[in-house]
Amino acid sequence: MAGPTIDHMVSITVLIAALLLTFGLYNQVLATAFAYQRNHQVVMKAVDLMNTICLSPGNPPDWGHTNSTPLGFGLQDPESAGYTLSPYSIMRLTSSSGGGLVYYPKTGLYYNNVSLGSGGSLLMPVGDCIDYATASRLLGVNGSYGFQLSITPTLNVTVSQVPASYLILKVEVLGPGMPVSGATLNYYMHRVVAGGGSAPSFITQSGVAQTDSAGSALLEFPSIDDSDDPYSFVVYAHLGGLKGVGYYSHDVLRNYPQFIVPFIGNFENGSIIIAHSWDVHNYTQTPVPNVFYNATFLVLTEDFKLRQVEIVNSTGQVNYGQGKPYAITQIPASESGILFISYRWGNRFGTVMVPWGIGTLGVSATFGGDPSGHSFVATELRQVTVNGISYQVKLAVWRLEDMNFGEGVRR
Amino acid sequence: MRTVEVLFVIIIIFGAFIVATQFAVLPSPRQIFGTNLRELAVSTLQTLDAAGNLTRTVFKSPSDPAWEILKNALSTSLPPNIVYNLSVFEISSSGGVVTYRLVASISDTEGDLGAGSEAASYLVTSPNVTFSITPEKIGEKSGKNITLYILNCNDANGWWITGYTGQTLAADLYNLLSPYFKTTILVNSTSQLGLLLNGTALRGETLQDAVLINTFGEAVPIPAGYYTTQGYDSSRSSYAKYAYILGQRVHQYNWTWVSIVGYPFYYVTNTITFASTQNDWGIYGMKSVGAAGLNAFLQGLDSQSYSYNSQWITGSPGVVQFNLDASYYSNYYGVYPSPYQTATRALPTSILSTYHLTATEIFNRPPSPNQNWIAAATYRHTGGGALTAIGLTRIPDIRVTALGLLMYYCPTIYRSEFGASGTSRLVTLQLSQQGGA
Repeated sequence: MAGPTIDHMVSITVLIAALLLTFGLYNQVLATAFAYQRNHQVVMKAVDLMNTICLSPGNPPDWGHTNSTPLGFGLQDPESAGYTLSPYSIMRLTSSSGGGLVYYPKTGLYYNNVSLGSGGSLLMPVGDCIDYATASRLLGVNGSYGFQLSITPTLNVTVSQVPASYLILKVEVLGPGMPVSGATLNYYMHRVVAGGGSAPSFITQSGVAQTDSAGSALLEFPSIDDSDDPYSFVVYAHLGGLKGVGYYSHDVLRNYPQFIVPFIGNFENGSIIIAHSWDVHNYTQTPVPNVFYNATFLVLTEDFKLRQVEIVNSTGQVNYGQGKPYAITQIPASESGILFISYRWGNRFGTVMVPWGIGTLGVSATFGGDPSGHSFVATELRQVTVNGISYQVKLAVWRLEDMNFGEGVRR
Repeated sequence: MRTVEVLFVIIIIFGAFIVATQFAVLPSPRQIFGTNLRELAVSTLQTLDAAGNLTRTVFKSPSDPAWEILKNALSTSLPPNIVYNLSVFEISSSGGVVTYRLVASISDTEGDLGAGSEAASYLVTSPNVTFSITPEKIGEKSGKNITLYILNCNDANGWWITGYTGQTLAADLYNLLSPYFKTTILVNSTSQLGLLLNGTALRGETLQDAVLINTFGEAVPIPAGYYTTQGYDSSRSSYAKYAYILGQRVHQYNWTWVSIVGYPFYYVTNTITFASTQNDWGIYGMKSVGAAGLNAFLQGLDSQSYSYNSQWITGSPGVVQFNLDASYYSNYYGVYPSPYQTATRALPTSILSTYHLTATEIFNRPPSPNQNWIAAATYRHTGGGALTAIGLTRIPDIRVTALGLLMYYCPTIYRSEFGASGTSRLVTLQLSQQGGA
């Protein structure tokens, strides 16, 4: 009797062990399949969103030229085809990587500060910008998927000053992880001088150079003092269809901060507010500068030349304090270019450049949420052109439900 | 005995599991971390060819240095973990059979890119291929010999033509429009313009039915002498009466007067007569007429009696978009201004009835409440004569003017047959991701 019983017990034990092992293996396969399906959906959504953003201009197609909220979201340039993005639509995005908000009491508005390098400034009225929530809603992913859009120049063009008795600038051109040798450089040096009247004027010097095997070039300006002459420098680099831009400026403000803060007043008509810095920031230096400015709009042509055009109120004076007005100039809203403002107070000179169309100064833009902390983030990468400048667009997409049961994700 | 049976069951269960997993091959989730290489390849090819660089390179000899530059550009633009193979095929056709011959290939890796690679193709046409077109001369069909006059006066200044001069615009308009006219004449001085207004041809051309393009923006050149005296309304200290005379002449000779930007007839310009007069904005050689100029012109065009009227009649509807006709003719004539423009000097629809005009419009009417503004159009008077008014803001895009005129006259384009062989090449870009996803 004992033999069959033991036989049954052993066989049942072995069977249960085998079943448990098999269920475990099946469970592992199914878990992999579920994870694959879930992640595949996110990848498909990333491709779908990237196509919508890069290959459709939105609705209305010219929403980048207006102050109104679009009915459909897309960044393609309505005047071009393929992977060409509108420099104006990108300007209207509320950047998530900028220098925060700036309040200007004279207009009573907050401005979105897109951090630029030395000598550049881009401050846009928050109320006229498109925020992440609006874009998510227009793209149909509000509450279901999160995304972050990064638009960065393909070529990183940096300019630095080399110590010498006269001005020598070093231009370095880098691709993603490697220097770019043999790149052609078209550069423009705008040297600010006192001029005849109260407002300063500037002298433009242009030239062509080429990067060496290390991806750099030294540009010498023997007529410019490297410390006492104010200037602004813009360089366009191109190599076999790739184009990049870099800039650098040097002010002679003698222990003062910059005097002028330019704000974008209106996307539609291209008005720019030229404000006194002391009205914007809590600067305490006295005496307060009595600033004379000279604003010039330089249109970027298709062959990367800067053509000067006339604008209204191109010269003027801005003062600080109660009731003192700011100056308003207006640039042609349909033309991409750079508003170059030089200013002076006595023997103190400075410059600031405002890009009209992000490509003209190679401005980067990051828009959207924060992908960190999510269990799976799909990324898409595309090459595009903005104002003829080569950019890379990276889109990170994640599923928002992951927040509920993610791996150590905080709500 | 039971143990043996159970062992059989276990073998069957594991066998079923192995068979099931053999058929249900599931890729690792890591495999979907990679980016969409096909679209990346497409966008890379389009970006490299944005200014035609790729097209120019692929038609060069494989030993040309341009290939090395293309290789550098490809390596630079792609992320470091992506390798590529770019191949160029020449497409030829013989006896209805299309063949693809590999002419060049560049890569940053040795050997095959592997099964995980993706490829995109891009068709390019040689930059040396030209399509010849022969435009019909305007008026040819109706037996008229229509002359194009472009004001190029060396004694006039422009306004609202920011960044240009009347002379540079005249040269550009000549290049754009002269193929469509049997005779094109540059009017090089205000005195030559005076001759035309007096009915005297400059080179024996036909004066009747001509087109006159004013390249000086909101300013109109005024000849000294008769026109500065008869065109001057002394009671109002205004040259609005000159615009009235212009309207009469346009009506009399069935001309089409073209204003390329802004408020038409807002200033008169003559650098000698008004040498010490400026236009309120610091531009000498020019005098303001104001809104009275356009009103007087329309009175003259409609054969009404002159009455000084300084009422501002234009509006600012903002951004406007090409209508369907303009989009069609933009493609037909190969003239591609931006289809979106900003109108700040649009004319009201009320002038159509007031002055007996019919409009050939270029832009869609703006939405309410601006639906009664016409951003740009050619206004034809029922009794003869027309005004093309481009009521856009500066900087002027003369391609809009050219398109407006071509839309109005609709000359036919005769295109030559294109049958060249060996002028197309297929570029394929194969990408593969290296390392872990």
